[in-house]
Amino acid sequence: MSFVSRNQKGTNGTYTFSSRPRPVENRSKYREKAHSTYGNIMYDRRVIRGNTYAQRFLSTEDLAEMQRQQELRRRAIAQKNKTKEQLRSSTPEAVQGRKHNVVQTELYLEELSYNIELSHIECQTDPLLDRPATPLFIPAKSGKDVATQIEDGELFDFDREVQPLLEVLIGKTIEQSLLEVMEEEELACLRAQQRAFQELRNAELAEVQRLQEQERRHREEKERRIAQQREALRMEKETVEKIAARAYTQQYLADLVPTVFQSLRIHGFFYDPVEKDIETNFFPWLMAEVNSKLEKRNAARQLLDTLIHDVAQKKLPLYTNLETRPEK
Amino acid sequence: MFTPVARQRLPGEQLKTIRTKADRVTSLTPRRRSRRTVAPPDRRTLDISEMTGVHIDPSRAPVAFGRLAIPELFAQLVEPDAARRLRALASLCDLTHDPERLYQVVSEGFLDQLEVLLKDGDAAVRTRTCELLHLVTSHNIARQALLSSPLLARLSQLLDDPSPLCRTRAHRVMNSLALLPAGAKALQALVPKLMLKLQEEQEEKEEEVQALLLSTLSCCSRLDAAPALSHRGVTLIGRKLSHACSNIRREAAGAMMALSVIVIAMSQVCEAAVLPVLADLLRDQDVDVQANAAGAIMNTVVITTGKHQCLELDVLPVLLELLSQRKPDVEEEQRRKALVLYSLRALTSLAEAPEGRRRLLLQLPLLVGRSEPPEEDADIRRAARTAVNVVTWTP
Repeated sequence: MSFVSRNQKGTNGTYTFSSRPRPVENRSKYREKAHSTYGNIMYDRRVIRGNTYAQRFLSTEDLAEMQRQQELRRRAIAQKNKTKEQLRSSTPEAVQGRKHNVVQTELYLEELSYNIELSHIECQTDPLLDRPATPLFIPAKSGKDVATQIEDGELFDFDREVQPLLEVLIGKTIEQSLLEVMEEEELACLRAQQRAFQELRNAELAEVQRLQEQERRHREEKERRIAQQREALRMEKETVEKIAARAYTQQYLADLVPTVFQSLRIHGFFYDPVEKDIETNFFPWLMAEVNSKLEKRNAARQLLDTLIHDVAQKKLPLYTNLETRPEK
Repeated sequence: MFTPVARQRLPGEQLKTIRTKADRVTSLTPRRRSRRTVAPPDRRTLDISEMTGVHIDPSRAPVAFGRLAIPELFAQLVEPDAARRLRALASLCDLTHDPERLYQVVSEGFLDQLEVLLKDGDAAVRTRTCELLHLVTSHNIARQALLSSPLLARLSQLLDDPSPLCRTRAHRVMNSLALLPAGAKALQALVPKLMLKLQEEQEEKEEEVQALLLSTLSCCSRLDAAPALSHRGVTLIGRKLSHACSNIRREAAGAMMALSVIVIAMSQVCEAAVLPVLADLLRDQDVDVQANAAGAIMNTVVITTGKHQCLELDVLPVLLELLSQRKPDVEEEQRRKALVLYSLRALTSLAEAPEGRRRLLLQLPLLVGRSEPPEEDADIRRAARTAVNVVTWTP
């Protein structure tokens, strides 16, 4: 029977091993001939029986000791079996001088034992195994065998048939990409156009501003000039008026001076100093003297007058008496 | 049930088993390796998927077939378990790349359900929702729907989110919305908040967020620069002009260009001494940064103070050098077109000042060269001709 085992690297790199199920062989320690008896798995040294939960992990030094212990155990069991056999009743011992000899009396050797030779056959389904697949039903062959084989190039020519498929696939892809590229180009064109327009607009705007500014400057200049002109005209007019006024005034005041002098002379502002002096100093003194003389005379006359008046007054009642008496 | 009793066997006896045909058949079949334990669903050892060939991605929810895909996924979005919501969102993000699905999402009104998710407690869910919204804004119908829904207010609240990734995504959505004029108009109300964010972000040093923020601001300011100006726009953006990252510089220069269209801004720029920084940016490595800086300068030199400052800073030779450079590569020339245009316009404005005119008269051949047919681009020719006219103008 061939042993097919498969060690391979799995699809994901992990190590897998699988082999066909085969029974464990019972090999003698020193293999001389190919023993193909199948040993009982329960008495196989390689199989661990019992509880594995508390399995001791042995180091390599202990391994030899364990083997020794196993050997001891085995010998003890063998001894036990031996003693058991000895205890069993067998033929009595030979009388002295005689020796028992084993002799085959029958033709065929027969083992006498109470054990009936049985052969046990057990069959048990493994509860964990899946139901095996039903064997393929291969019906008996009936009818005629007919075979057919399609050679290369009989069904279709791949290169020719694949053309339309390829055309559609590649065409669609290229169409889509063309659309995208055209869209991008369109956008780029639009943007470039916008940029150009903006540049032109800015330049023209600057031009407009410049012209506006120029216009403003010219206008302001004009206004200034007009204002200046107006100012000049006004100044000129003023000058003309001034000149006319001056001429007139000059003419008007031409004979002012002699008139003034004349009137001054008339009013006596020009004087002869001696005369003035005489007038100012001499005459007042003279007049004062005259005045005083006259005063004196006046005083005298007044005195006289008062005297006369007094006398007259005194004489008045007399005369009044006289006047009344004569009339009587 | 009858169970056979094992009899004590005597030594020497062997168990004789009758081997039947059944045994032979049984032993012929290979022994199956029995699996006692269930292997964890690891991608490598999952036998089922190997057998059927389906690739299961554990981070995405399974997608139903056909037109039920989107409604099914949206139904999963209201589940209490955050992990499942996340997976459904991941699948949705994958699906919305397809315009048909996107149309389905928008037309069947599922966008409003996303509003609840934006208030979700889990940061990953919020981030994914913002990503989904960003994908959605790549199409016009979705943008319109988004603008007319209350999602915008919710998004603006997300700008203050504790998770930085969520903030970045929300900024991305805002940016793509602002590119649309209607979106820019809708976002005008948010400009003060964005300016505040700009001020805060100085300490954050998150470059992508800053770049996105500046880009959004420049889009909004193109429509109307007044709100940004009134919130100290010039000073804040001026500080970003000298940032290390070229993206941020480019966006800041672009925002400055958009702002300086208004006269008030021009005078603010002159006062805030931003012009020297802009002049430095003209010598930058990146073409876009140079172009934007030239644009900002071109806008600022319209007013007289700007002109004088630029002439003092000696910007004229730099601009002329930029004009005279011609790259052999056609693509490079295309990219430099903006730069050349802006430089020409700046030179035109500078030529109005007497000092500038005097110096440009010496360089007249260069300008004439750009206005003649050897120059391919009609716009550049036109600009050059205007410049020549202005330079050679006499009262």
